[in-house]
Amino acid sequence: MEYNEYNVKIDAFEGPLDLLLHLINRLEIDIYDIPVAEITEQYLLYIHTMKELRLDIASEYLVMAATLLAIKSKMLLPKHEDESEEAFSFEEEEDPRDELVERLIEYKKFKEAAVEFKHLEEDRGLIYTKPPSDLSEFAKETQSEKNDINVTIYDMLAAFQKLMRRRKLQKPLATRVTRQEIPIEKRMTEIIELLGTGERKRFHDLFPVPDRSHIVVTFLAVLELMKRQEILVEQEQNFAEIFVTAQKGADKVGNY
Amino acid sequence: MEIINWKGILESVLFAAGDEGLSIKQIATVLEVEELRVQEIIHELQLDYEKDANRGIMLVQIAGVFQLATKKEHALYLKRLVESPGTAHLSQAALETLAIIAYKQPITRVEIEEIRGVKTERPLQTLASRALIKEVGRAEGAGRAYLYGTTKEFLDYFGLKTIEELPPLPEKIDDEEVQDEADLFFEKFNEL
Repeated sequence: MEYNEYNVKIDAFEGPLDLLLHLINRLEIDIYDIPVAEITEQYLLYIHTMKELRLDIASEYLVMAATLLAIKSKMLLPKHEDESEEAFSFEEEEDPRDELVERLIEYKKFKEAAVEFKHLEEDRGLIYTKPPSDLSEFAKETQSEKNDINVTIYDMLAAFQKLMRRRKLQKPLATRVTRQEIPIEKRMTEIIELLGTGERKRFHDLFPVPDRSHIVVTFLAVLELMKRQEILVEQEQNFAEIFVTAQKGADKVGNY
Repeated sequence: MEIINWKGILESVLFAAGDEGLSIKQIATVLEVEELRVQEIIHELQLDYEKDANRGIMLVQIAGVFQLATKKEHALYLKRLVESPGTAHLSQAALETLAIIAYKQPITRVEIEEIRGVKTERPLQTLASRALIKEVGRAEGAGRAYLYGTTKEFLDYFGLKTIEELPPLPEKIDDEEVQDEADLFFEKFNEL
């Protein structure tokens, strides 16, 4: 049990900087005036604990340990006294800790920003929207001319994320656990058949089954068909609905 | 003069648009009114929803577009509609990485790793696969590393209107506050 407790604790750090911030916080140290000897000792204690627990210590932690030791030894060195430089020495004297402090402060900023993001994430999770209504019956039958494919992989991923979100709400209230593997090739053929009439289909409509693995396979099938230029994927403007049509002469999916 | 129920029309149009949302410009085109007038109508409808606690919908601006969304206080009931309400939240590593990208974009993986002090390949993959970030170009110099930036999905995911609406990044750690506390402590200490 105890073992587990430790494990969780160490896993909770996002890296050596995070661990250092934790130590600074716990020891109530001024971040601008870190007692290097003390913090190094504490830091090494953690590393040793990790070792005892036979955890893999990420190399970054060891690099930081070395950095701390280097700073500690630099601070032990007698200050360089050179009379000719005395005039500057007050301002120019370099604290070996400066660079580390700077890194810690920079990291801390983003660590705090991440907390803010977490709140925003939770907040946003409380509101729901619906997919656009199907207004296609009003659409004028204007088959858009072949424009350049300007759909990027990121548009596809965004569309995919949206789809997954929608599927979540449509999920049946009870589910059975089944394992059904659909080969991508089969979905590719099905998609080509679906588009066979030369009709333009909404990206969304290619996903009739609200099942995660089915959705994933279909998505991969669409990407593969795009790559093989068997289908044409269009988007009239950024973030608008994505439409899919079969390329001419691509009524067969072959060569695999 | 004919009375046109703009608020009702806007409501219908926004309902149909769903989570694609509509920009002020798009609404102006559809309603055939000035953009300034659109803003007024939006504001009026927003107020209607807000004032009436019996309405379950609100009009929000997310990722640059206006859309209808359910009110936060009803989330509990909506969650009961689905089997597993727990959406996959982002890990601490992913959130940190995303924060760095959001404020410093465009930025390379190496630069992110310098700030975090750890390898960041996995969080980057997670973020890209969730369409929250994307490659926005290549850095100058050796290796021509990929530069990462945030996407529209990112704004949507955090309910932000625009990228400018990011909460301000603390420029300096508020060390003074800590200092004050310490001073107070010592004052008390001296009094004893």
